[in-house]
Amino acid sequence: MSEKWSLHIEVQRQKGKEQPHFDRFDLEISPEATVLDAVEMIWAFKDRSLCFGHACHHSTCGACGMRVNGVEKLTCITLISEVTQNGGTLRLQPLRNLPVISDLVVDLTPLYHRMAEVKHPSVHPVEENEGVASQQIAQAGKSNNPYTRLADCIECGLCISVCPAAMTSPAYIGPAVLAGAQLAVVMDEHVCAIVDTQNGVWRCHSAYECSEVCPSHVQPAQRIMQLRRHLLSQRIRRFFGLQSLHQRKQ
Amino acid sequence: MDKPKAVIIGAGFTGCATAHDLALRGFDVTVVERGPIANGTSGRTHGLLHSGGRYAVDDQESAVECIEENLLLRGLVAECLEQNGGLFVALDESDLEYARRWVQSCERCNIPVEQVDVKQALAWEPNLTSKILAAYTVPDATFDPLRLALTFAATAQTNGARFRLFTEVEGLIERNGAIRGVRCQERTTGKSSELYADCVINATGAWAGKIAQMAGDATIVVKPTPGVMVAYDQRLCNRVINRLNEPGDGDIIVPQRRMVVIGTTSFEVDEVDYIPVFEDQVQMMRECAIQLIPAVAATRQRGAFMAARPLIGSSASGRSIARTFKCFDHQETHGIGGLVTITGGKATTLRAMAEKTADTVCAKLGITAPCQTREYPLRSYREFRGSDAYQ
Amino acid sequence: MNRIFQKPGNAIQWFDPRGRQLGYLAFILNRITGMGLALYLLLHLIMLGKLAQGPQAYNSFIETVHHPVFIFGELLVIFAALIHGLNGLRIILTSFGIGVEKHKPLFTVLMIAALVSGVYFAARMIAR
Ligand SMILES: Cc1cc2nc3c(=O)[nH]c(=O)nc-3n(C[C@H](O)[C@H](O)[C@H](O)COP(=O)(O)OP(=O)(O)OC[C@H]3O[C@@H](n4cnc5c(N)ncnc54)[C@H](O)[C@@H]3O)c2cc1C
Ligand code: SF4
Ligand code: FES
Repeated sequence: MSEKWSLHIEVQRQKGKEQPHFDRFDLEISPEATVLDAVEMIWAFKDRSLCFGHACHHSTCGACGMRVNGVEKLTCITLISEVTQNGGTLRLQPLRNLPVISDLVVDLTPLYHRMAEVKHPSVHPVEENEGVASQQIAQAGKSNNPYTRLADCIECGLCISVCPAAMTSPAYIGPAVLAGAQLAVVMDEHVCAIVDTQNGVWRCHSAYECSEVCPSHVQPAQRIMQLRRHLLSQRIRRFFGLQSLHQRKQ
Repeated sequence: MDKPKAVIIGAGFTGCATAHDLALRGFDVTVVERGPIANGTSGRTHGLLHSGGRYAVDDQESAVECIEENLLLRGLVAECLEQNGGLFVALDESDLEYARRWVQSCERCNIPVEQVDVKQALAWEPNLTSKILAAYTVPDATFDPLRLALTFAATAQTNGARFRLFTEVEGLIERNGAIRGVRCQERTTGKSSELYADCVINATGAWAGKIAQMAGDATIVVKPTPGVMVAYDQRLCNRVINRLNEPGDGDIIVPQRRMVVIGTTSFEVDEVDYIPVFEDQVQMMRECAIQLIPAVAATRQRGAFMAARPLIGSSASGRSIARTFKCFDHQETHGIGGLVTITGGKATTLRAMAEKTADTVCAKLGITAPCQTREYPLRSYREFRGSDAYQ
Repeated sequence: MNRIFQKPGNAIQWFDPRGRQLGYLAFILNRITGMGLALYLLLHLIMLGKLAQGPQAYNSFIETVHHPVFIFGELLVIFAALIHGLNGLRIILTSFGIGVEKHKPLFTVLMIAALVSGVYFAARMIAR
């Protein structure tokens, strides 16, 4: 069979209330395998108590986010050869800024709850210009295309883990949720009340790192800026006694 | 009277849907899953909500069940579906030959198929190969695997079911010839615990044989048969593309988010905890995909993954309560009470499988409670509470 | 919506640039210069406080700040103000939706501007 690399894999472990520590495993693995494969192999052949998140193994569920050598990665689509070399070390840690359940798993359900609050649509029409101008910041549901598709955001939490503002302000609702609000089909009062606050869109410190790690084309930072623009223009309109944009839409 | 207690082993599609059904029928349900939700076969599916067309010729009962459940789920889990329909396309003479039988079978199974002009098909799906000789529409759809399972789990949880994730069943508790509970270990803390139940439901898919063995029932032999799937980094079609012929390797392309996923193959393995992805199979999938959508050749591969179906050894399959999936009351197979095994089937038919399993469990315990899952509205997957599911 | 994502107190991780991109560098620079400027403001207020203690105290204080170390410190303040101010400009612009797609080149250009004008001020100060 094909070539195998030997790797040292350091995994952050934590059971119950104990302090986190690292365990080291030596593994022979193909460079074309994914980091998630490596983790699953450790579980299957070396340590059955290892906890990690995964479901789809093809970047559609968002359960397998981890920090690989300090950088947030969706491990099911990250090849070993992309992150280390033969004889190298991989340091695996759980995502930051989310509750750690054990070892490499975090609880993503608080993120789901927040996404529900801002009414991020999980399915929306396929954008007209899909693929052509994927860089463009489109809003979901703003297309007349008869086809629908599952939304880009897979609720993986990578953007929350990398965000320096989320690191120090636990109440910050975070990039994914703000992007979710920007993509909400109607930005009603309820959503505005969550977003247009200190712990909403104004907490962002413009590090743009969320867009760098997002594995799923969401570009949360750009969407946060789009939201700010929207909210600012609304404030200016209100100041001049004009109708706000979303009132007009309704 | 106390609520009857059920313990379900496995939180794949089958386990989650059964938890939902039993919770509605007044059971006190606990689901014990050794990993996170849908980490087994369920997470790693193609994501095709079958119209039934794939089975219309060879397995009409499955085909009928698929189309019924397909139409039902469209209303129940719209949040996790891309409802864009599918196409069956013929590429050569043998496909055209098959098409005649196929159309008749679909009609018999009540699957609405309609022949469309090749030009029309190409206008809808410009990336489809121009070599197609015939095209038919079917009501296929795409589902998001994790979120489909979570939808059922969240609803079950709202109705009182408990989920204990990262908790592995290590043994069964037996009293007087009947299974009365499970012994399990929490992987998050290393603690062991015991759970008692009036009925234990083994919904561990390709691992079902191992649980049956724990009960000493060697009649149920599960041979895991994995298949590969490959995801490409562009949404090259909006409808599901099926090759119009006998079910075979690499004959389905499913669009999902900004990807397309092709599958699948079938071979046998002994060990399913880790199944490596074989490069030659990935290559073969790519070639099959290019036959249908030539643009795949220029598209980056995004991921490749494996999932295992449970193939049931022939000695036991005759005893299954249902034909379209495998449901065994171990009282009948081996004279052990309190244990029901359910495995096989399809993601598309998860609700129907749960219904039949719950019927079996109710009959066993002498409980009369009608199934409500056909009309009971499901909660959003986002309502699932991790804080109650992790120890 | 009241779930707590994590315990605070990770501020030190703010300054870890490993594996990060340009936008994060901008964030780190903005933090450091921001804290530096706040510190400077404090010192500045203390200095002004000397005024209240009469001309003598003030003059002797001024003597000490002519020491090269303080001149260097002042240079740092100028650089920090330029970096912080111009980076702030970038944040304001992008918050109005301007240059969002080009935030990296925008940052580079602004930082070059900060450097050039900083060097200009430095040269003038040293020439004096
Ligand atoms: C390659 C492939 C492609 C498929 N594509 C489709 C498709 O496109 N459409 C469709 O409708 N169907 C599809 N199917 C079928 C469908 O995926 C399966 O029928 C379905 O996922 C089975 O779910 P399950 O819950 O029975 O099994 P699983 O999802 O495997 O669940 C079993 C669970 O039990 C857990 N478990 C095992 N042992 C223990 C233990 N000791 N203690 C606690 N928990 C345990 C496992 O962790 C696992 O989560 C596909 C199947 C395969 C193999
Ligand atoms: S915005 Fe991107 S990184 Fe953040 S949760 Fe969604 S998919 Fe993940
Ligand atoms: S396992 Fe689903 S996104 Fe990686």
